[in-house]
Amino acid sequence: MIDKIVAMFHIVANEGHGSVFVVLIIGFFFGAIIAYSRLDKFEKMAGFMIFEDTLVPRMAMTTVALSSVGFYFLVHFGYATFAVKPILLTGLVLGAFLFGIGLVILGKCPSAFFVSVSEGRVDTFVGVLGGMVGGAVFTYFYPNIKVWMGPDLGTPQLFDYFINHSLLVVLIFSTILLITAYFLPTIEFRDPADFKEKE
Amino acid sequence: MPRQIPWWIGGIAMSLLFYFSFSSFGANRPIGASTGVAYLSTILFGLDAEHYEYTAQIEKSGAWEGVMLIGAFFGGLFTSIFLTKSFHISFIPTLWKKRKNSSVKSRIFWSFIAGFLLVFGARLAGGCNAGHILSGGSQLAVSGIIFAIVALGTGVVVGRFFYKAKECKDDR
Repeated sequence: MIDKIVAMFHIVANEGHGSVFVVLIIGFFFGAIIAYSRLDKFEKMAGFMIFEDTLVPRMAMTTVALSSVGFYFLVHFGYATFAVKPILLTGLVLGAFLFGIGLVILGKCPSAFFVSVSEGRVDTFVGVLGGMVGGAVFTYFYPNIKVWMGPDLGTPQLFDYFINHSLLVVLIFSTILLITAYFLPTIEFRDPADFKEKE
Repeated sequence: MPRQIPWWIGGIAMSLLFYFSFSSFGANRPIGASTGVAYLSTILFGLDAEHYEYTAQIEKSGAWEGVMLIGAFFGGLFTSIFLTKSFHISFIPTLWKKRKNSSVKSRIFWSFIAGFLLVFGARLAGGCNAGHILSGGSQLAVSGIIFAIVALGTGVVVGRFFYKAKECKDDR
C-alpha cells in the first residue's frame, strides 16, 4: 500500500496540474477554510437541510457567485479552461439522490471527510470507512454499472443557450445568488460543544 | 482570534482559493473531492489500475484530489487545534442528539451507511458538492445545477422523515 501512496504523489508530480507542494497547499487552505467556517460540522451541513442553520447555503452561494464571474474572466483572458462534468443522466440523477440521503444523515460532504476526522470526530471516521467501501464497490462493479449510466447529454453550460449574451448570463446568475445569500435569514445552531471555554 | 468566520468571509476566501486552483497560476483545474476518496479506496482495497477499468479511468484526477485531501486533513487539524480550538474526541454531534437520539451505536451505524451512500452516489453522479455544486456551479455547468437540485431536494425530504420534528420555541 505504501508504494501505491508514493505512486499517487508521483502521478501528481508528473501530471502538470501544479506541483505536489502547490496541491498540498491548496488542500491545506481548503481544509482550513472548511474548518474555520465550521462547514465540517453536522450542525451546519445536515442542519441546513432540516432548517436549523443557514450558513452552508449562504456561504456556498457566495462562493459560486464570486467564482462564476472570476472563472468567466480567467477563461476569457486565457488563464484557465473550463472543465465541465458531463450529464450522464441516469447516473447523475440517481447518484445525486443517493448522495442527498447520505449528506443529510452523515452531515459531511466528501470534502469535509478528513477535515472532520482531523477534529476528532469518530462518527465521521466510520463514515469515511463507509465511503471507502462505497468507492470500492463502485470500482468493482463499474463495468456493470456504466452501461446504464447514460444517456450522455454532453457538457452544456447555462450560457450555451444564450450564445451572444454569455457575460450577461453569468452576471445575472451571480447577482441572483448574491442577493439570495444576503437575504436568507440568519439561523445559527450554536453548538455548546464549541463554546465551552467562552461561556 | 475569533473561533469562527462568518459565511461571507468564508465565501470570499473559498472563491479566492477557487480562482487560484482553477487558473494556470495554480493547478489549472477546479477543486473536487469525491474522486479522491474513491481513489484512496482503490489503494486501501488493492483495486489496481491494471485490473480495474474505473481505477485506470480516475487515476490522474483521483491522485490529484487524494493529495489535496491529505492537505485538507492538515489544514483542518491546524485550524481545529489553533483557531477554532474545537479538537476533541467525539462520537455524536449535538444536533443529532437533539433531533435523532443519543445512541452511539445508532450514530455509528448510520454514519457507515450514509458514508457508503455519499461516495457511491457521488461516483455514480460523477462528482460531489465540491465538484458538482461549487466547481460545477461556478462554471454554470448544467450537470452541477441538476445535481444540486436533486441532491439537496432529496436531503430536505429525507431529513423531514429521518429526524424528529424541530422544536419551534427557539427561533426568533
